[in-house]
Amino acid sequence: MDKNAKRAAFIGIGEVPTGRFPETAAIYHAIESAKLAIRDAGIDKDEIDYVMPTASLYSPAFNTELVTCRIVEELGLRNVNKNCQVFAGGSSSSCGLQLASSLIETGKAKTVLFVHADRLGTGVTAQGGIDLFSTAGISAEWEVPFGQHYSAIAALATNRYKFETGCTDEELSAVCVSNRKWARLNPNAFFNKKDLSIEEVMASKMLSTPLRAKQSNMLFDGGGAFVLTSAERAPDICPRPVYLLGEGGTVTHFVYSQEPDVSRFGWARAGKKAFEQAGLTPRDMDLAEIYDSYPIYQMIGLEELGFCERGEAGKLFVSGATWPGGSLPCTTNGGMLSQGHTGAGGAVALMIEAVRQLMGKAGDRQVRDARFAVETATGGTYMDAQVTVLGTEIP
Amino acid sequence: MTAIEKPVPVVNPWAKPFWDAANREKLVFQHCNACSKNIFYPRIACPDCFSDDLEWIEASGKGRVYTYTVVESNAPSAFVDDMPYVVAIVKLAEGIQLLSNIVGCDPHSVVCEMPVEVVFERLNNEFTLPKFRPI
Repeated sequence: MDKNAKRAAFIGIGEVPTGRFPETAAIYHAIESAKLAIRDAGIDKDEIDYVMPTASLYSPAFNTELVTCRIVEELGLRNVNKNCQVFAGGSSSSCGLQLASSLIETGKAKTVLFVHADRLGTGVTAQGGIDLFSTAGISAEWEVPFGQHYSAIAALATNRYKFETGCTDEELSAVCVSNRKWARLNPNAFFNKKDLSIEEVMASKMLSTPLRAKQSNMLFDGGGAFVLTSAERAPDICPRPVYLLGEGGTVTHFVYSQEPDVSRFGWARAGKKAFEQAGLTPRDMDLAEIYDSYPIYQMIGLEELGFCERGEAGKLFVSGATWPGGSLPCTTNGGMLSQGHTGAGGAVALMIEAVRQLMGKAGDRQVRDARFAVETATGGTYMDAQVTVLGTEIP
Repeated sequence: MTAIEKPVPVVNPWAKPFWDAANREKLVFQHCNACSKNIFYPRIACPDCFSDDLEWIEASGKGRVYTYTVVESNAPSAFVDDMPYVVAIVKLAEGIQLLSNIVGCDPHSVVCEMPVEVVFERLNNEFTLPKFRPI
């Protein structure tokens, strides 16, 4: 049999708007996203035989419900063999996709539903969010006692990158401007009502130097889901399935200060693996959905994957190459900086966006004739680099 | 407003010699006798060669700032009163690196590759934190 027949393929995606929804329950974001994904796939819900929820951070009690099969029961899925949580922080989407594809390739699962939901916008206070992200994934022995937290962590990478490359604050701000342009075209993005200028970003409150408030993601409620099956079955179900062509990952640290290179991380190695497996190069990509919890990661991501030389990414954001209509459409949902950050969902949203674009379902922000996309994810304090290459055809 | 107590290091038993030494104002790290690698943070086996023939040695306390940031707003609750404060990754002469604060200078005077040396700040009766100041 053709070895490609067992390859995993996306057949449906679902997503609810990212925002603040105090009036609804956290589980709504999970079941509504899952419902949309199943309907998008056009399959009978009872074809789902494996449910893979990822974790929610806002509430251990809610997360336990995800672990203990609430999604299966709420949706009335009658043929599910396993409900098994896969969690790797911000890399949950990539790790979930890899595990799900392995299950499909080996015949252990036929139709996998991956679901994310969280309530970090209304489930925790603003200071609660800061405090959560000054302990979650940060070493309690070696870093918490020194006032470490996620803005500082991004700032540490930014300052070293600036020192080594000469990147400017204007270039960093241009990443936010680019992502906002895409978010303006995305009904699910929180920040879709107003344009953003470099001047506005540069005038926003200083958090941890050189990082400013508008260069920081904000936490929101939200959810997303996708349905996978084998490449053999996908074309009979879905008019334009999206195939997993390659994936690569590198784990580089737990304690942030032990990262050997905070201005590069592990993207080059992870990207090489993913592109080699796909038999493609960055030049073949029609879009790049690069993880962007802060601007620095989106710049490093593009450079280390080979889309441009080191120190040159800023120019792509300033020139408009990454904007709608540009030559390198980048982070086309607006990313965590403009769609909003929902915990493990930041990269779930990027993965869904890559699939949405390739399926031709991206509405006003559709990248014309998109065939191949690269998507990235990272978890914790940028502990790993996960790269996924997707396409509408198998090269 | 009640001041929120600073978080104290949650100490792993095998790292206790590090914190005991810090209380005596000494900065120590592990050295692997099998492969000669210097090790930080403390491990139960060498992360390079996996040997458990490790000994504690005293650091010179001198190094340079690999990278830094001045926290000006949105600090964790226990650090709000400290703003502005400098968080930095310091690379020691011995080749190991650690997170700390740069103190004893204008926070905005800190730059990458700035030479620094260790100073000790008592946190409470139980803990002393190694921090760094410009040389």
